[in-house]
Amino acid sequence: MTSFQRWAFCLTVPAALLTLCLYVLPILQVLALSFTEPTLGFGNYVALFHNAAIGRVVRTTVIVSAVTTVLTIVMSYAVAFALVHMPPAPRRVALFMVMVPFWISVLVRAFAWITILRRNGVLNSALVGSGAVSEPLELVYNQFGVIVGMVHYMMPFAIMLLYANLSEIDLRIIQAARSLGARPVTIFFRVWLPLSVPGLAIAGLFIVIFSLGFLVTPAILGAGRVLMVAEYISVQISSTLRWGVATALSTMLLLVVGILVALAMRSPALRAAFEGGRK
Amino acid sequence: MSNNRFGQDAALIALDKFRTGKIDRRGFMTAMAGLGLAVAFRPGRASAAVSEIVVCNWGGAALEAFQKAYGAPFKAKSGIEVVVDGTGPATGAIRAMVDSKNVTWDATDGGMTDAVVLGKGGYVEPIDYSIVDKSLVGEGLAAEFGICNYTYSNVLAYDAKKVGATAPSSWNDFFDLEKFPGKRTMCKWIQGQLEAVLLADGVKPEEIYPLDVDRAFKKLEPLLPHLIFWESGAQSQQLFRDGEVVMGNIWHTRANLLRKENPDYTWTWNQNLMFASAWSVPKGNPAGKKVFDFINSSMDPEGQVTLLRIMGNGPSNPKALALMTAEDKAVYSLAPENAKTGLPISAQYYADNEAELQNKFLDFISR
Repeated sequence: MTSFQRWAFCLTVPAALLTLCLYVLPILQVLALSFTEPTLGFGNYVALFHNAAIGRVVRTTVIVSAVTTVLTIVMSYAVAFALVHMPPAPRRVALFMVMVPFWISVLVRAFAWITILRRNGVLNSALVGSGAVSEPLELVYNQFGVIVGMVHYMMPFAIMLLYANLSEIDLRIIQAARSLGARPVTIFFRVWLPLSVPGLAIAGLFIVIFSLGFLVTPAILGAGRVLMVAEYISVQISSTLRWGVATALSTMLLLVVGILVALAMRSPALRAAFEGGRK
Repeated sequence: MSNNRFGQDAALIALDKFRTGKIDRRGFMTAMAGLGLAVAFRPGRASAAVSEIVVCNWGGAALEAFQKAYGAPFKAKSGIEVVVDGTGPATGAIRAMVDSKNVTWDATDGGMTDAVVLGKGGYVEPIDYSIVDKSLVGEGLAAEFGICNYTYSNVLAYDAKKVGATAPSSWNDFFDLEKFPGKRTMCKWIQGQLEAVLLADGVKPEEIYPLDVDRAFKKLEPLLPHLIFWESGAQSQQLFRDGEVVMGNIWHTRANLLRKENPDYTWTWNQNLMFASAWSVPKGNPAGKKVFDFINSSMDPEGQVTLLRIMGNGPSNPKALALMTAEDKAVYSLAPENAKTGLPISAQYYADNEAELQNKFLDFISR
C-alpha cells in the first residue's frame, strides 16, 4: 500500500467501528438467542425442520420472491434499455419518473395499490364499467396483489442498477456489429444481452435478497392470506414471544442470503459488476 | 463504553439534576439518549421523587382520550403528571425493556391475557391490592398481574345497505353465503375468532373452552375464499368504508366509529365476544409503587365514562352504569341488555394456548 492508500483506508475505520458496535454485535446477540431460548442447544433449529407450517411459510416466501425477481428484472431491463436509447432531455424526465416512487413511503404505496386493485377499486371499476369482465377480479389480498406491490417497490432499484450497467456498454461495439451486417434482434441477443449479464446478475441478487426479507407489502396486500418469513418472524417476536424460533429463522435467513452472495461472487459476471469501478 | 469518562460525568450531572428534581424523567431520558447512555444509568428508585407516571397505550386518538379520562383526574388529585406514550406495549416490547433493565413505562395497556402471560414470565409486578381497591371493578376483572381498565367486544358488524331486508343477527348468518353473499372480514389475531366460528357451528357458550380447534377449522375452511383478514382496527373500518366487505367480526369501538360516520354500518350485540383490557406494571417501573395510586384512580367511574364517550371503551367499574345516558349504554358491552348473550373471552385459556393457536391459525388462513 502506498501512503495515500493507507490514508484512504483509515477514512473507513470510523464507519467500520460504528457498524461493528451498533450493528454486528447486537445482531450476534440476537442470533445467540436462537441457541439459548428457551433451553440451551440446537432445539430451535431441529424444530424448524420438523414444522410443516414453517415449511409452508418458506415455500410461499421462495415462490413470491422468485416471481417478483423475474418480473422485476424483465420489466426493469426494458425500461433501462429504453433509457439508454433516449436523447438526454426526455431521459432526464424519464429518470425522474423512475425515482418518484422512491420518495413515497412503502406504506403509502401499499395502500395505494389496495385502492387500485380492490373489488370496487380503480382498476376493477374500469374493467367492469367497460364490460371487459362481468365480475370484479380478485386482484388483491392474495399472492397476485403481493407480487404487484413488491415488483413496484423493487423496480426503481433494478432500473437504476441496470441503467448504470447498460450505459457503460461501449456503443462502438454495437456500431461494429451493425457494420458487420447484424440485424437488430441479433445485436440485442448477441451483443446487448451478454454485455448486460453483470448488471442483470447484481440486480437479480439485490432483488432476491430484498424480497426474502420483505415485511410491509406482503402483510398489507396479503391481508393474512400470504404469510412470508419476515412477517412470521415478526409475529413470533412481538406477539407469541417465541424468540427462540424467531431468531433461529432469522439466522437461517441470514445464512441463506450469505450463501447466495458467496455463490454469486464466484461468478465472473458478478465480480465484474462489483469491480466495475476499478478499470 | 465504560471508558467514556466525559460522557459518564455529563450523565451523572443529569442524574443529579433529575434526583434533585431540576429536570423530570423525560428530560433525563432525553439527555441520556443524547449521550447514548440510557442503559448505563437508571435513577435510584427509592430516592427519586416521583414527578410523573408514564402510561403506554396504542397511540392515535387514545393518547388524548387516556389523558382526559385517566391523566387529568389523577393530576388533580395527586399533582403528579401522567404522560401517555403511544408506542404500543406489545408483550415483546415489555419483555425487551425488562430484559435490558431499561424500563420507561409505569403502566401498560394490554389485554388481560397479556397480563397473565407477562406475569407467568416474570416481566410484570403483581398488582398491589393493598393500594388498588379490588372491589371497584366487576366480577372476574381483577387478576394477580392485571386489573381491568376497560372492556370491549368483538361484534358482528354489517353494512345494512348490502345485506338486504333481513339483517344478520348471529354468527350463523356470518357463514350463510346464500342469504348474505359477499366478502366478510375476520381478524388475523386469534382471540375472539374461533369462538365465533364454534358458536356458529352450534357449540354451547358454556362449552366453548377449551376450543375445539379442528372443528372450528373444518367449519371455517369453506369460508376462507370469502374472507379478508384485518390486522389493525383502522383497517377493519376501512374495509367497510371501501365496500370491500358486507359484514365482519370487528371491535365494537370500530363499529361504533363506522356507525357515527354512516348509519348504514351497524352491528348486533347478539353473541358478542367480551374482552377485558388490563393495566400491567412492568417489573422495575420507574415510578415504583406510586403507579398503583394511579391505577386505583383510573377506576373512578367518571373518568371511565369519559373514556367511553370519547372512544367507546367500556368501564370496568359497574358503578359507571349509573352515570350513563341511554346513548352511552348503547355502546357499552357490559350494559345488561348488551351483555345478555355475550361470551366472555377466557384470558387464562389464551395465556396457556395463544402462541401455539396463533401460529396454527396463521398457517391455516394462509394455506
